[in-house]
Amino acid sequence: MSSDRERAPDADTEYQHPEDDGPEPEKHCGHGRGGMGEEVNRKEDKRFITGRGDYVDDIKKPGMLHCEIVRSPHAHARVEEIDGSRAEAMDEVVAVLTAEDLLAHDLATMPTLMDDTQDVLVNEKVKFQSQEVAAVIAEDRYAAKDGAQKVEVEYDVLDPVVDAEEALEDDAPLVRDELDDQEDNHIFDWETGDKEETDRVFEEADVTVEEDMLYQRLHPAPIETCGAVADWDPGKDKMTVHMTSQAPHAHRTLFSQVSGIPEHKVRIVSPDVGGGFGNKVPIYPGYVVAAAASYVLEEPVKWVEERSENIQTTGFARDYDMTGELAATEDGEIKGVKVDVLANHGAYNAAAQPSKFPAGFFNIFTGSYDIEAAHGSLTAAFTNTAPGGVAYRCSFRVTEAVYLIERMVKVLADELDVDPAEIRRKNFIPSEAFPYESATGWNYDSGDYEKALDKALEMADYEHYREEQQRRLEEDADKLIGIGISSFTEVVGAGPGKQCDIAGIEMFDSADLRVNPTGNAVLRVGVQTQGQGHETTFAQIVAEELGMDVDDITVEHGDTDTEPYGLGTYGSRSTPVAGAAAAVAARKVRDKAKSIAANELEAAEEDIEWDRESGEFHVAGAPDRSITITEIAAGAYMNHPGGEEPGLEATNYYDPPEMTYPFGSYIVVVEIDRETGEVDFEKFVAVDDCGNRINPMIIEGQIHGGLAQGIGTAMMEHVTYDDNGNVTGGDFMNYLLPTANEIPNFETGHTVTPSPHHPIGAKGVGESPTVGSPPAIVNAVVDAMSEAGVSHVEMPMTPDVVWEKLDEVGLSHQPARNVEFSVEDGEHADD
Amino acid sequence: MKSAPFEHYEPTTTNEATSLLESLDDPTILAGGQSLVPMLRFRLANPDVVVDINGIDSLDYLREEDGYLKLGALARHADVEDSDLIDERYGSFADTAPLVADPQIRNRGTVAGSVAQADPKGDWGSVLLAHEGEIVAEGPDGERVIPADEFFLLPYDTTLGEDELITEVRIPTPEPREGSAYHKLKRKTGDYAMAGVGARLVLDDDGRIETAGIGMTAVDITNAQATDAEQHLEGERPSADLFETAGELAAEASNPESDEHGGADYKERMVDVLAQRALGDAAERAGAVRRKVTQ
Repeated sequence: MSSDRERAPDADTEYQHPEDDGPEPEKHCGHGRGGMGEEVNRKEDKRFITGRGDYVDDIKKPGMLHCEIVRSPHAHARVEEIDGSRAEAMDEVVAVLTAEDLLAHDLATMPTLMDDTQDVLVNEKVKFQSQEVAAVIAEDRYAAKDGAQKVEVEYDVLDPVVDAEEALEDDAPLVRDELDDQEDNHIFDWETGDKEETDRVFEEADVTVEEDMLYQRLHPAPIETCGAVADWDPGKDKMTVHMTSQAPHAHRTLFSQVSGIPEHKVRIVSPDVGGGFGNKVPIYPGYVVAAAASYVLEEPVKWVEERSENIQTTGFARDYDMTGELAATEDGEIKGVKVDVLANHGAYNAAAQPSKFPAGFFNIFTGSYDIEAAHGSLTAAFTNTAPGGVAYRCSFRVTEAVYLIERMVKVLADELDVDPAEIRRKNFIPSEAFPYESATGWNYDSGDYEKALDKALEMADYEHYREEQQRRLEEDADKLIGIGISSFTEVVGAGPGKQCDIAGIEMFDSADLRVNPTGNAVLRVGVQTQGQGHETTFAQIVAEELGMDVDDITVEHGDTDTEPYGLGTYGSRSTPVAGAAAAVAARKVRDKAKSIAANELEAAEEDIEWDRESGEFHVAGAPDRSITITEIAAGAYMNHPGGEEPGLEATNYYDPPEMTYPFGSYIVVVEIDRETGEVDFEKFVAVDDCGNRINPMIIEGQIHGGLAQGIGTAMMEHVTYDDNGNVTGGDFMNYLLPTANEIPNFETGHTVTPSPHHPIGAKGVGESPTVGSPPAIVNAVVDAMSEAGVSHVEMPMTPDVVWEKLDEVGLSHQPARNVEFSVEDGEHADD
Repeated sequence: MKSAPFEHYEPTTTNEATSLLESLDDPTILAGGQSLVPMLRFRLANPDVVVDINGIDSLDYLREEDGYLKLGALARHADVEDSDLIDERYGSFADTAPLVADPQIRNRGTVAGSVAQADPKGDWGSVLLAHEGEIVAEGPDGERVIPADEFFLLPYDTTLGEDELITEVRIPTPEPREGSAYHKLKRKTGDYAMAGVGARLVLDDDGRIETAGIGMTAVDITNAQATDAEQHLEGERPSADLFETAGELAAEASNPESDEHGGADYKERMVDVLAQRALGDAAERAGAVRRKVTQ
């Protein structure tokens, strides 16, 4: 343990830490044992930093075979014939599998999370480029790849449809002709809010604005691609699958349903996961192929994707083509919001969201504002592109919703010529209005939006940059300044189980806490870390609630044979749901500890009190008659009170009563080169409010990572296709991810508005920066040109896109003429 | 990297390498591997034989000799980036090296290999064109010196013979009043150029431009020379107006296509902007004093 932990005098029993309005976040506010609010070093970092992490691809089993998937070069084609004989003739090749082989085991198709049916290996028709057509199983991965190159597939190539709008035209190629009731490429329509009321508000409004914007197709692009090692044990009739999973238990249930193997004979292990970001929530054909191959061949089979396979075939995110409208009074009071969306879902409806929410939580698009009328409509279409629509570091389409409203507020501010900070302030849901019910039916738990905005404005030196912006415009300077704001509100922490589910399983989560006789403890949770730091933060929750030292608690996750059932980690739900379960389980243990303490201290149980500050139990009125949790643990096993069960453990399955609503204000200052369109970040301020903070250092790390991803989104990332359905942005040469060179210095700050319904007042934070930052960045670029009439710039804002906008409104520059060169006669002095 | 199987030869002398190139059937040369290895990995290249020249220590040099700056075939981008000689005397090389790809690629990739790859989006070809550089090749008939402006034919295609090995690329050492520069526009670190322009200016005793060289990246089917712009500059005194016209002429000489790196019109405009920037830096490095004037 570090010795420099300080006791914060202000940490009270409800963790209602007075908010720190100073420039530096508080470093320590706990009790010195690594509890709530302490910047404990991450327990998991030792193994990651020293190269001792265990990822799926690190697993080696005796006799293990390797799987390589043969993929279609075409986006839309009938498979006429598959000839695997040349591959099968290779010594190292064990088998070539096609849909026909899988049909024999009833494994040819698998359900998507939205209850569509996807081919595991193409049965009749390829529906997107790189779709899985056959699989080669060989003794090593090189031979598997060699074999895959030798599989000959004859295709009858069909016209593809790539664009969602074209897909809905009458003469569009039919993507899903195998479905009896599917006569076009339309998947579903979805509607929210009150259309009549919203139309009325728009008719009566002084001002209305409208803007089209595309949230382009992104890929979560985790550094570790997807993979699995499937191991069918014919002796035990048991299937063990080590796989890159963000939701091991849900995957166990789905695996059992797909394969027919009873669920108690299926074990899913998610070892260390190298980033998920929503990409590892769905089931992919490769997992099923590996399992089927292991079942048939009775040997372990490993399948690990290459980078381009990951980007080209696994769950993409976004691809929402949106039209937003706002209605307002002439002094900037927003009265109504409308949005219409065309969603490209790819070849299957394989979005990863609660099944009752076909458009996810998109109807949070009223954002941080008190808007009386709202209406949204959405149409989803099939196209010959990879399936997806996963929640890339966000809760189910919240990112698209936040982008829409934060962009529209800027459009309105420009239309009315008012300061974008002021128009936000004017329309924020007031802090005293919480809990607040939005026009689309969300129950916001708590918020103080103005406070976060004020703090961000101060940190960003907002007025200074506004003046600098004007000065540059007046001087016709070569570089323009733009200032963008995003005051976002998120909705995270799904369930409640009655509203949210995966394939029918309610979105609760779980924690199982066992205190050992020697006073340390193991906490098992149903969520699965992919870099979020659960092994540290969840231990901190227990340390806080039991007065233990954080180093005495081990957190385990990812193995369905030992962990309690949970729904996994995505949508910033781990702290809101499993974190709550951990706190409640620890409190149950604390209650039982009281009876043991009473026994040990020879007092009545109702006279035993627990002191959060010291972490000890003592007799009321006699603080020196105290006992530690370590002593109590010994008592639980070696001297347990008669009439009670021995041991000291508790389990909690937590179904959240509501979701949580973290928020924040981000301010981005950009400098734009008028000659080239290049955008530089001058300042990047992020003020977040995620309620009570468990580990400020981990939160800051999460914010930094998410902001980097937001910059990637706004500036360079895009999964592109050509008209033939070829993926043209399907590898890291063409799908651009930001590096440290593209990332500016971030200035982070925070406010603390606890969630009133969460056991420790926390809200979840992992996705706030990814959700909140893209509109701030786009608003900044637009802001630099808004006086010239620019209302929108599409992402990704590469230099050419920005320059074309500059040129369109007459802001582009030639290199300066005001330069003079003079040359002295004679020899050059330096040479 | 799951390439198809291939035979791997590791010569330790140039002679050994050239006799392997002559005797083996359709060999592929591996130097830094920063283009070849990804192609092997995607199985876009499926060579039966790879001749790996990384063991030929005599090709690992960067030095001035006989009136040339010489880079042996194993000089890496990072060697250029880290060289004090380059920093002091070769502005365009000092500009280019840190703009090539990313640090990992620069640690392995070679300048000569990049030139041999002849990707029109590669940077070094433009710099060689601006400097009247040369490519030195060893083949069955001995050494051959190929001027840079006779080297590039098509994307990924050059006048190098199949049994020839590039041993060196070189440019003349600078004249007393010479300056050079390279400007590149890219979408992110590691990305190829959207457009790039290298410029070299030699001034005479009167302060007039005696020699001008301009090479362009990613705006034609090969690295390309802006000959009209060069001619327009020669005999004139450096000035913003002169460079403006040269920029326009370079843009006219370019022939970009619209692709993921931007539209053709944009790239053409950027040739103009980058040429003016590179010429301004080159003039300053040649000894001209650049100052802002109030209009």
